[in-house]
Amino acid sequence: MSAEKKMSRRDLLKLAGAGSAGLVMSGLPVKVIAQDSVTIKVQTAGLDDNTLQPVADIMVARHPNVNVEWVVLTGIDHEEVAAKILALVAAGESIDVGYAATEACQLFAGQGLAAPLDDRVTGDPDQDFWTDFFSDVHPSLVEAMMYEGSLYEPPRDFNAANMYFNTNVLAENGFDVPGSEWTKDDFVEIARGTTKKDANGNTEAFGYAWTNRLWGSWMPWIFVAGGNLYTEERAPGGDWVWDGYYEGDMAADGRGGGFRWREPIANSPEVVEALQLVVDLWQEGVTPDIEMGSGQTLTGFYSSGLLCMIPAGGFWAGRLANEGMEKGDFDVQYWPNWRNQKHQFGTGGHWLATVAEAPDEAWEFMKIEVSHDGFQSSEFFNPVIITTPARRSYSQANAFETTGPANSDVFYGTLDDHPSTSPIPAPPWSNPMTTIFTTGTSNAMSGAMSPKDALDQMQQELEDLTARQPQYYADN
Amino acid sequence: MTANVMRDPGDVSATQHRLQVISFVAGRYVPIIFLFMLSIVIIAPMVWTVSTSLRKGSDSFTVPPKWLPTDLAVENYAEVFEKVPFDRQIINSMLITWGTVFGQLVSASLAGYAFARLEFHGRDVLFWVVLATMMIPIQAVVIPVFIFLRNMGLVDTLWSLILPAVPTAFGTFLLRQYFLTIPIELEESGLIDGANQWELFYRIYLPLVKPGLAVLAILSFNFHWNEFFRPLIFLIDNENFPITLGIFQLQGYMMTGSIAVVLAGVVMSLVPVIIIFLLGQRYLIEGIMRGAIKG
Amino acid sequence: MTTAKGAEAGGGLWHWLTQDTMDGLRRRRAILGYLFLLPTLLGIFIFTAGPVFVSFGLSLFRWNIFKPPDFVELANYERLMGDVRIAISFGNTLKFTVLAVATQVSIGLLLAMGVHRITQTAMRYYFRTAFFLPLLMSGAAVAVVMGYIFHKEFGPLNYYLGLMGVQQIPWKTSADWVLITIVIMSAWRNLGFTFVLFLGGLSNISREVLDAADVDGAQGLRRLWSVTIPLLSPQILFAAVTGVIGAIQVFEEPFIMTRGGPGNASRTAVMVLYEAAFKNIEYGYGSAIAVVLFLVILAFTLVQMWMSRRWVFYQ
Repeated sequence: MSAEKKMSRRDLLKLAGAGSAGLVMSGLPVKVIAQDSVTIKVQTAGLDDNTLQPVADIMVARHPNVNVEWVVLTGIDHEEVAAKILALVAAGESIDVGYAATEACQLFAGQGLAAPLDDRVTGDPDQDFWTDFFSDVHPSLVEAMMYEGSLYEPPRDFNAANMYFNTNVLAENGFDVPGSEWTKDDFVEIARGTTKKDANGNTEAFGYAWTNRLWGSWMPWIFVAGGNLYTEERAPGGDWVWDGYYEGDMAADGRGGGFRWREPIANSPEVVEALQLVVDLWQEGVTPDIEMGSGQTLTGFYSSGLLCMIPAGGFWAGRLANEGMEKGDFDVQYWPNWRNQKHQFGTGGHWLATVAEAPDEAWEFMKIEVSHDGFQSSEFFNPVIITTPARRSYSQANAFETTGPANSDVFYGTLDDHPSTSPIPAPPWSNPMTTIFTTGTSNAMSGAMSPKDALDQMQQELEDLTARQPQYYADN
Repeated sequence: MTANVMRDPGDVSATQHRLQVISFVAGRYVPIIFLFMLSIVIIAPMVWTVSTSLRKGSDSFTVPPKWLPTDLAVENYAEVFEKVPFDRQIINSMLITWGTVFGQLVSASLAGYAFARLEFHGRDVLFWVVLATMMIPIQAVVIPVFIFLRNMGLVDTLWSLILPAVPTAFGTFLLRQYFLTIPIELEESGLIDGANQWELFYRIYLPLVKPGLAVLAILSFNFHWNEFFRPLIFLIDNENFPITLGIFQLQGYMMTGSIAVVLAGVVMSLVPVIIIFLLGQRYLIEGIMRGAIKG
Repeated sequence: MTTAKGAEAGGGLWHWLTQDTMDGLRRRRAILGYLFLLPTLLGIFIFTAGPVFVSFGLSLFRWNIFKPPDFVELANYERLMGDVRIAISFGNTLKFTVLAVATQVSIGLLLAMGVHRITQTAMRYYFRTAFFLPLLMSGAAVAVVMGYIFHKEFGPLNYYLGLMGVQQIPWKTSADWVLITIVIMSAWRNLGFTFVLFLGGLSNISREVLDAADVDGAQGLRRLWSVTIPLLSPQILFAAVTGVIGAIQVFEEPFIMTRGGPGNASRTAVMVLYEAAFKNIEYGYGSAIAVVLFLVILAFTLVQMWMSRRWVFYQ
């Protein structure tokens, strides 16, 4: 599809170039063809560039002189994709629009690869568009896309870590889907109560499982235990968006110009306690061995009724539906309350490359993607939700009507009803930080180290890492 | 030793004889049975791969494992092409591999001939330099090579894999050994017939080292078809990937890809090497053995 | 000196070259030699030998490719010395290299000796093909397939071991097992190579030598140790050399199957190099790791050369 298009365009250009060069050299007058056709290169992460094709179609329909060329970069995790984007720019290839989730937003901004969008938003003659957009997007998503006072990406999607249940497994073991105020102790009771072992003590059905990465994993437990990997400060700035577009919105009060994750606090007692909780569950056989990126095996566990609970966001609704789970087979709830009920989320969107060759057209594409038309056509949200829409109006119950879960209002409710919800820590050095985090996690989760030792080592590594960084955050 | 036992069974007592027969039978068949069982263990993962690639995705995890592809779910194979541009990646793999093999055959036969049959100042020193680089793996120099390719604008093109792989110390060494086995008299008679230096190489020597060229071609094909590290670093856009990276991609973000589809990709990636293997088995095995004898 | 002579002859360069004398012939052949070597030498200089020196130069800088490099002297090496991850990863590579080469060589030898005794052509062909087939798979494909085979709960391997009464083994998720798992999967793939190599070596051993051994009454282990192994020493050395070069580069198996985990238990030298340079965009630090890797390989090579002088018996 896009492959052929891309090749033929390149070849045509090459031919045109060679042709005109030949004409010049042969001394014939060169006939200049009016050529205002523009190609924008849009990087997408993930295997399927068809997902965004409808948005490109809208772009081309409105601006027939524009071609959209996909640069499909894939990786098994965010760090891998970010590394590919860095290599792409390092290799001197131009892209106009890049994709980043929270994990890499400050990474690209900090390296100067992403351009601040403040002036483009405030200077846009179509202010109605932005008033409508921001009124439909929770301010914490916008804040998570900011770095040192500037906005780098209009949020397209987000996923907060909520708890999914296999409702059949719950029912078999005499449990109901818990209420929104449930606690860590309720969780442990359900996790133990839904675990089944055989005569040898091998677990046949697990109560709880997760995968080793930055988002999801055991990070939600760190938050509800009252900890974090880094201290969380707000950079000054961003008034243009809070005063200009969120005036009167209580949820926007006290927001700044993006987060600064300055000091590692990975071995604080709260974090140790959180890790101890998940390690205990593993040692009891409630949780299977934790692997890096074990998406398919966990889905396999879950859909075959061998697993009861898993941390996931709205993206899991469509995934489970595609795996053949029926509406009603699964449900979702807020993360349980421990010392607090602070949720974590990651958000994603496109950024404008500083090296963009067609920045205006690229910006137009970015606007279409987050417009109503974009949300109504993108295959991320149609026909089923495969990642939670950042716009509130597309995250309502009707979006989940065919697939479930019944409690789908939890997804946007995590933002609207839980003011403490904040993004996963992702400073500009998030790539090595994530490696340190996942390594420390599996050090404890394989029994090679005690949670305390693993976290002391993690803290040491994070301190060394942080000390090596150039100054990404201005002093106040 | 078993042969000795059989040679002269006459002068041993009956019991001893029976024992020896048993030990002969055991000595002869136990290893075969053992080898046979081992061969099953070694082949089993490949059989499992093929059969799982032909079953529905939801059956990938059945315990006990199933060995027969009961559903013949060929749609897994079709899905490979939807998930990644696999058709494109097959072509990329072919271009990279054949380009590299061809380049190596040309450069290594020239250099191998020069080292074996031409005399010039510094030849032995240069030969040792070439030999010494044989032990430097690409991993140890990948950063400067990446930067060089970037400066040349070759990153994310197939050339980034082909060009650096063309000069081959191993191939040069291998073909030098083949050229050395050819009797020098042939050269003299060629000269008497009025052949010039190029014709000596191209018309007389080169046809005689065809087996060596075949060995190099097959070893190099197997190596570059299966390469992973360099493509991972030098290529970026998945349209430019070879199929080794395609399979890796099929696993998907956070390994969410369907196992049956991933395995279908693995099976397809194996087809060309198996064909090459069946055609060139003799040369491949000879190449492996020869490397040692002369090495 | 030849140049001066040629110039004096007055016939110019062309004459100097095309002179129909032994001298002219020698000159033509020498120039042809340099020309024939040019592509290979130039390529090796640009893509192998030169980069070794460039790596060393780069290792003295801090450079993320987007901003100008900073000269930091030996700071990267100081950091490297104190980096736990690096020490563990190089240690893993060494452990893996020793275990993998020992497994490949010893099992390959046993298989070759077994198959060598089989005279029936069809059976020989079957075994040869069966043991050789995995070598045709890429390391990436092997890692993908084995990732499923070795899965703790769903993997076929643990299922069959379970039938034999073995508890579920955490192949990929225990720091104690993971290197062994990677050794097993790499041996599975590379056995075909050592097997074919030794089979060839065995068929080259002359009948007389073996008969002489029979006359001496050398049997069983003693014969293996004092006759077969010395006679196969060139092949064993070759298997060890190529095995070591391959094993030191181990990357895709852990990269795909375990991502270096659990903890750092399967992280290898090449993985930390890759992560430093291409994931964390620290080209200088990555180069320092590359330099250390190069020195390790150099040391291995010298040891092997020394061993081959002392020990290898050429028939």
